[in-house]
Amino acid sequence: MKPIYVLVGLASLATLVGMAAQGAPAATQAYVAPRGAGGHPDINGVWEVMNTANWDIEPHAARAALAFRPGPFGPVPAKEVVALGAVGSVPAGLGIVENGPIPYTPEALAVKKDNQAHWLERDPEIKCYLPGVPRATYMPFPFQIFQSTEAIVFAYEYAGAVRNILFKDPGPAPVDSWMGQSVGHWEGDTLVVAVTGQNDSTWFDRAGNHHSADKKVVERYTPTAAGVMRYEAEITDPATFTRPWKISLNLYRRAGQDAQLQQFKCVEFVEELMYGRLRKEPLK
Amino acid sequence: MNRAKQALLPILGALLLTGVVAPAQAAAAYRAPRTSFGDPDLQGLWTNASITTLERPDNLKSLVITPAEAARLETANKAWLAANDRPTDPKAGAPPVSDDPGGYNSFWLDLGSKYAVVNGEIRTSWIVDPANGHVPYSEKGRHDAMAAGMRQFTNFDGPEVRSLGERCIVGYGSSGGPPMLNVLYNNNYQIVQSPGYVTIVVEMNHDARIIRLGGAHLPANIRPWMGDSIGHWEGDTLVVETTNLNPGQAFTADIRHRIYLAPDSKVTERFTRVSPAEILYEFKVEEPTAYTQAWRGEIPMRATKGPMYEYACHEGNYALTDILAGARAQEHKPQARATQ
Repeated sequence: MKPIYVLVGLASLATLVGMAAQGAPAATQAYVAPRGAGGHPDINGVWEVMNTANWDIEPHAARAALAFRPGPFGPVPAKEVVALGAVGSVPAGLGIVENGPIPYTPEALAVKKDNQAHWLERDPEIKCYLPGVPRATYMPFPFQIFQSTEAIVFAYEYAGAVRNILFKDPGPAPVDSWMGQSVGHWEGDTLVVAVTGQNDSTWFDRAGNHHSADKKVVERYTPTAAGVMRYEAEITDPATFTRPWKISLNLYRRAGQDAQLQQFKCVEFVEELMYGRLRKEPLK
Repeated sequence: MNRAKQALLPILGALLLTGVVAPAQAAAAYRAPRTSFGDPDLQGLWTNASITTLERPDNLKSLVITPAEAARLETANKAWLAANDRPTDPKAGAPPVSDDPGGYNSFWLDLGSKYAVVNGEIRTSWIVDPANGHVPYSEKGRHDAMAAGMRQFTNFDGPEVRSLGERCIVGYGSSGGPPMLNVLYNNNYQIVQSPGYVTIVVEMNHDARIIRLGGAHLPANIRPWMGDSIGHWEGDTLVVETTNLNPGQAFTADIRHRIYLAPDSKVTERFTRVSPAEILYEFKVEEPTAYTQAWRGEIPMRATKGPMYEYACHEGNYALTDILAGARAQEHKPQARATQ
């Protein structure tokens, strides 16, 4: 083969790779991560998103609040949150849902809208409940990955949630739980984690996006640059969605003095909310 | 463990009795495997479930008991558990109104069936120093412990005065520690090591104790639950120093122990793998005003099988609602108490 054909061939290969990359940006990166335990990419560290998916995983403009009531010239922040002012408002974001909108069944979409209208009473984050997967990944809190040859454990700052990634599938989880049962394996440089056995009580965000206890999540963690991982999660839940759908986002590794997980055990922070009415002398 | 090392253990045990060597040195008879980054490997699932408790029960006079005595007590314990495990009589009706209708039957407990063996000795308390097997409270320490304990046992005015276990903030008693002590159930711990860290996932309540290897303690005004832990290696022993304890965690109680940990205490823990299936866990508590001396304990942590399940406490915490609501109901119906 003459050199000119080689070049053409390479160019068309590059085009193909480029096209493939548009569909699946993570898998086709040429980046080779430093090796860690067992020759796999070293994903140790404190990771966090830099997005607003926890407010709403779908594209959304900034808005005044998460809870509203009708006002004389349109909705205004609900009484319960109005005192928060700008602190209670929602930052904009392009969302993390691929090929949206989220493919709800009509009934499930109605539930989502109802959830949104009753956000204050229903969002499990307000009561400091464990976040479930994938919400744990993109809450505005860091989480730390501890990776050895034998084990990978995730510790989330929010609510002190933890996940142990099992590398031997023990079979179906004997009982549903908030963080589910995680079974992992490596596909090349991608850590793939199948999460099953989650209950129906977690949400995807503060926008009322929900699921049933049938939800299965397959997560993919792929290093794409120094200190950056692509996170993809496919969600299958026929009771709620008409087809499997995916979210994807970037995780960033904190460095230096920022890379120390703090404690956010919020259970005590919600005691007045949850038990205040049961005080001997309820506060006026 | 090879035979030569097994043969060494009783000899080392005998040396210990004569006070010739310290426990950590005895453990050096076994060399732990190494992680891929060269640290001694403590990883896996471990349990401290045991009949042995933090302090020595009044009916036992010495730290060490004979195998015959242990067998007698273990049989009695088994009988108690069996008696407490009979099915409830479905025709019995509601129990009489009383302050304490009783708690779990044995099905729900997982407290172990054996006294712990440390260095070949059958132990009656975790505390080895002082020799009486009791926390050496000073007068001030005892006073503070009583005040904190009395509030927890008698005050139901709001969530903040209830125990951390009832509030689902941390596990019952000192399950997550430090020091990490055995309680009635969920006595399981997963250790995972990565470069620069040893992390202990405590089953109750899904708490990760993230131990940094080296570095500085948190600023004095940051006092997390379970304190702030920094570790280093001394030979094959992981030494963990914890300060910045949360004052809210000072008094912790479980059926198996009550402990007042003065908030400015320094707790030093030592983890030494003494066999493939056991870690010797030692702890020392120091605080000059609450205790008359530093006090020390020794606990074997035995390898156990997983997986460890999620202990999601807060999410299903009907108990705290019911405890507070029950207290309110009694206040509004004083005759309820009179009719008992």
